[in-house]
Amino acid sequence: MMGLNEVLLTKLKDMLRPVNGFHMHSSLTCLSILQAVLEVKRSDDVVILSKGHSAPAFYVMLWKLGLLRDEDLEKFADIDGLPSHVTRGLPFIEVSSGSLGQGLSVANGIAMAKRIDGKSGRVFVILGDGELDEGQIWEAAMTASHYGLDNVIAIVDRNYGQLSGNTERIMSKEPLADKWKAFGWKVREVKNEVESLKEVINELDGVKGKPKVIIAKWSY
Amino acid sequence: MIESFRESFGRTLVEIGRKNKDVIVVDADVKNSTKTVYFENQFPDRFIQVGISEQDMIGTAAGLAIAGKIPIVSAFAAFLMRAWEQIRNTIARDNLNVKIVATHSGFSDFLDGSSHQCLEDIALMRVLPNMKVVVPADAYATRALLYEIVEDHGPAYMRLGRDFAPRVYEDGDEIKLGKANILRDGSDILFVASGVMVSVALEVAENLKGVGIDAGVLDMHTVKPLDERTLINLARKVNLVITLEEHTIFGGLGGAVAEALSEKMPRRVIRIGSTTFGRSSRDYLSLLDRYGLSVNKVYSKVLEVVKNEDDEVLEGV
Repeated sequence: MMGLNEVLLTKLKDMLRPVNGFHMHSSLTCLSILQAVLEVKRSDDVVILSKGHSAPAFYVMLWKLGLLRDEDLEKFADIDGLPSHVTRGLPFIEVSSGSLGQGLSVANGIAMAKRIDGKSGRVFVILGDGELDEGQIWEAAMTASHYGLDNVIAIVDRNYGQLSGNTERIMSKEPLADKWKAFGWKVREVKNEVESLKEVINELDGVKGKPKVIIAKWSY
Repeated sequence: MIESFRESFGRTLVEIGRKNKDVIVVDADVKNSTKTVYFENQFPDRFIQVGISEQDMIGTAAGLAIAGKIPIVSAFAAFLMRAWEQIRNTIARDNLNVKIVATHSGFSDFLDGSSHQCLEDIALMRVLPNMKVVVPADAYATRALLYEIVEDHGPAYMRLGRDFAPRVYEDGDEIKLGKANILRDGSDILFVASGVMVSVALEVAENLKGVGIDAGVLDMHTVKPLDERTLINLARKVNLVITLEEHTIFGGLGGAVAEALSEKMPRRVIRIGSTTFGRSSRDYLSLLDRYGLSVNKVYSKVLEVVKNEDDEVLEGV
């Protein structure tokens, strides 16, 4: 399955067994994206998981980094265990999610503060393709472009699925790359795979003056 | 003396911006109406324009707060409410240090009519955990409470009218976040008011003296956290508590006072405020009068309640 790391996949499935596979698909298509981002992340970078229901994938990555233990994963969504959607206070998590379409605005705010303070560092924001239905995403897309926030890097988990079905049937996103381009963003479409994602992220460091979006395409 | 809420807000923002370099102002294309333009003129590098997008404005402010800034976001109260869910899920849930200043609240945007008037915001903000809610009575209180909420850590909602702000306080008076101000003692009735209705309460209380009714006035400028101690101490001494607000009587100041007293010091509470949407008008005071919030209407209502009190109480049994 898109060359996913078998160990991580097994961990994910084990973790979600007691909760009927809670958002399994959104998590497994997000695994490589999270892995790529956490592997390229520098100390002054920030990561926003806007599609907060991919928390299970994020927890598996934290486990891989040694920041969570097996017994933590076993307590996923248990009353005193890991929260089902990412929450401020967890490692790397600057803002709680769960309500869709809000992460890009927050990423812009952090990027603007960095600019005001003359601080370096990129702000990665991981978006679901379904959450692009939210109007706030496009408000924020205008803001990032208007201010030329070239330290904002959005990664769209283009898995073609949203809650009720295929994205193109529920609310078509295509032509998705053209939409971002029209909003003034530098767009790259890439296979949803760790090495390809890392390569594109590094290449985009050379692009100045505009925000960047990577459309990470999942294929079956 | 009649002053202006938004003028006071705009000017105080500049004062605070000069002292505190972490303060950033965010606008959704209403800077000339909210007067945040004064801040932009002085500190263009710390002013962020997001266009007509209140939801994005709240999210951007969240990011600024996460990065250590003190963002002050401002827009008309009615339109900030379209970002209620963003305020709930991002600002309040994460307890972020964002200050939301709503102008043109109540009926104060008289000409623009019911779409622009906002009579529900106190209720909507008051239910959010972590959120503090302040409603200054005049221009002086606006300045004092803006300093207070900026110094305090955590989310706050400040509710302002547009211009009409009769002076209630004198320079040097103390106004502290979370501490209600006793403006007048009374042994028969206690008025608990917020915003511009504080000035109405004071005038009605003075008029009631003429008919032998001794009415006290409490400025409950901080609706949340509610100063229950002061409220209970004053309510204890009277038979009737009357709340006055330029807001729906459901869930606002009247709701907060009734909740607190019913649990801790049962007293009859009459809530005076609106129960429906506003309408457009060429002037503000006519609108207040139409909705029963002018000095004359409040005075008549109080006399009616006092006259019928024994009957009404018996009817309820």
